[in-house]
Amino acid sequence: MSSRDSSEEPEDEGRRTFLKFLGALGVAAVSVGVLRGAVQNIIPRVQGSSSSGYPTLQLVLSSGSPVKTSDLVVNNPKIVLFNYPLLSDPNFLLRLGDSSNRDVAIDPATVKIPETGKTFTSPGGVGPYRSVVASSAICEHLGCKPPQLRFHPPSDSSFPGKLHCDCHGSTYDPYRGFAVVTGPTHKPQPNIVLKYDSSADTYSVVSMVGPTIFGQPSNLSGGTPFPSGAKSTTVTIQEAA
Amino acid sequence: MPGKNMIEEIMNRPQPLPRVVPDYMRKRGGLWYWTGAMVMIAFLYEALTGIILLLFYSPASAYKSTTDFVADIPFGSVILTTHLYGAYAMIVLLYVHMLRSLFVGAYKRPREMQWLLGVLLLLLTIGVAYFGYSMVGDALAVNAEDVGKGIASGFPVIGWWLALVFFGSSPEQLYTRFLGWHIILAGAILILFAVHFFLAEYNTIMPRVDSEHGKAPHIDREDPSYKPWYPYNLLYMLQLTFLVIGLIIIIPSIVALIPNVPVLFSPFPQAAPGTAAAASLPPYPPWFLLFIYKELDFSLAAAWGPFWGSVVFLGAPLLYLAALPWLDRGDSLKMVHRKNTVAFGIMGIFYLAWLSLWGAVEPGIPIPTWEWLAFFFAVGLGVYLPTHFVLTRIERGTLKIGSPGRFALSLGMLALTSFGSGFLIMASLATGSATSTISMILLLMSMAISLTVAVAYLRGVLPLQIGQPEGRRLRGKTYTFIGSVYTFAGIAILGVMLAITPNSIYNNSLYGVGLGLLFLIAFGLLRLYRSFAYGE
Repeated sequence: MSSRDSSEEPEDEGRRTFLKFLGALGVAAVSVGVLRGAVQNIIPRVQGSSSSGYPTLQLVLSSGSPVKTSDLVVNNPKIVLFNYPLLSDPNFLLRLGDSSNRDVAIDPATVKIPETGKTFTSPGGVGPYRSVVASSAICEHLGCKPPQLRFHPPSDSSFPGKLHCDCHGSTYDPYRGFAVVTGPTHKPQPNIVLKYDSSADTYSVVSMVGPTIFGQPSNLSGGTPFPSGAKSTTVTIQEAA
Repeated sequence: MPGKNMIEEIMNRPQPLPRVVPDYMRKRGGLWYWTGAMVMIAFLYEALTGIILLLFYSPASAYKSTTDFVADIPFGSVILTTHLYGAYAMIVLLYVHMLRSLFVGAYKRPREMQWLLGVLLLLLTIGVAYFGYSMVGDALAVNAEDVGKGIASGFPVIGWWLALVFFGSSPEQLYTRFLGWHIILAGAILILFAVHFFLAEYNTIMPRVDSEHGKAPHIDREDPSYKPWYPYNLLYMLQLTFLVIGLIIIIPSIVALIPNVPVLFSPFPQAAPGTAAAASLPPYPPWFLLFIYKELDFSLAAAWGPFWGSVVFLGAPLLYLAALPWLDRGDSLKMVHRKNTVAFGIMGIFYLAWLSLWGAVEPGIPIPTWEWLAFFFAVGLGVYLPTHFVLTRIERGTLKIGSPGRFALSLGMLALTSFGSGFLIMASLATGSATSTISMILLLMSMAISLTVAVAYLRGVLPLQIGQPEGRRLRGKTYTFIGSVYTFAGIAILGVMLAITPNSIYNNSLYGVGLGLLFLIAFGLLRLYRSFAYGE
């Protein structure tokens, strides 16, 4: 300030105004940058009606190759499982057949939820024979898992063609959207919506319908999620023992 | 003058707010007087980005909502990574602020209460950072949760209660609690900071120690020559804000563009717990807690449990800091009259740095008694004796340091580079990648340079500082030229930024780099204007 010459004063004033203008321009540039980022950021993402947050995962074998129809055994007495929609949620993968192990086409059915009296429509079977269905493998009654809860093939002497839980005796019908057959459960099993690609003979999991998986606040929370970017879920097979 | 009853004084005779400050606080080197302000700027940045994050965070699916925010929401990655690095900046600045206050003796009367609140704010900040870090819900967060729970539940008698209060009783409650405590502690920081700030105004700024005879109570007697707050200080604060926020935005944005950043400094959420990728993650806490993790590996903490380990290794230093104004009651603010405080301060820096380094290199590896005792003893003695030696020599006048400021700066560089090269030596011994070896050599070279410079200052080889040059002024045309170049660059950057589509982390980070540059340009323009118009 002291070194400023009085003879330079008029020129300095103009320069000062110019610098002030540049400073204001700089601050304005910052504001525009911040505002664009912040405004665009806080707009919530509109969920597509089809995706609604569920990941689409291809079913693969432990070898990593996609599951083909021939990998699935009709009325398999072993327990075939895959995880969905969270890594900690096991589900049954069933290829349903009649008592002589011929594929049975499963039609979409209206399934009643006794607890609330409401209904939902099950997705029905997929695959070349429309015989492949899937449901949560966590019992809706009190959360028992396989092998307590398992599918009994139609040839079984006890509970033929039903999902039965050894813990408290709940029974579900996989041929009709995993509807409640006998209590104590008040809810059918949550159904998994599968998609079959007939050209490649591969299966994907796309979403779920029905009640919420037992013990979770919602199907997509309350457990361990898949790592982001996951493209597949692995099918595991265990003995019914 | 601070009276007997501080509350009465403050309430009945409110101080002018904000106070005017001497000119040297806004000139070269004046940044040291604003370390507290910089902490506050970082805190404000955290609050603003935190509010945005609050709109998206869902405790019921902590990890998924966080990774979705980073991957899918426009500019989400910029906001989350800068929120993280803003917290880092706040912690670093807080340490700087505390250490500066310690070394200049700002804890002495009349500022004891201010200092005590500061120690409390340090604890709260580490707490809020811990909860924030854990909210991500990745494998590291689960690890941090385990350790935190272990410490909390080890509290005698009420441990189970503390664990329930802080962590909830079920996994579903965990992240709701984390979110709650993160916000509660941030609110507590805001309130305590307000008191801390008001006390600072009440006790006046701490003037240059060499301006008076350096005796407590060292307070600023306002001078009619002090310039008014508006516009001088306002523009300075604005300039400081642009600098701090610019750095907070640009650093993580650049880090985000670099592939394979080590886990400790990665600005992104890590793998989900229970996945294969999580198993290969080292059991790291956030870097600012590494020292506690390492101390929990010591045989003592292992034998007594994590709670008593933390009490000994974290509680004791905090207690020492809190009690410092009453332990060091002398009047003199000169370092030569506060040899122990200075020595313990430097010791603290070394312990903090080396324990953190140790924790980074050997996370979770148990340390036998002799080893950690030897560590504390060797570092303690290795700092204590030289500090006393040097300070005694200075007191007797047999040793003269020409420009203490620059000497301290070169010492700081020395500490930083030796710390960094120690880290990289261990890293290249462990993995031996070419990058770490090259950076190690570069760091060792800069370490040697800082050592030479420090010794040169000590021996009086380098020219002594001859008075501070009055705010260097350039020619009028130069101002116009530099200002125009800055502004033009800024507008060009803004143009590029507006063309960026925020559909990938890469693009987001580019936007972040641009935004950081804009802040720094605005900082430069304000600096230029202040220099031209006010000669500051």
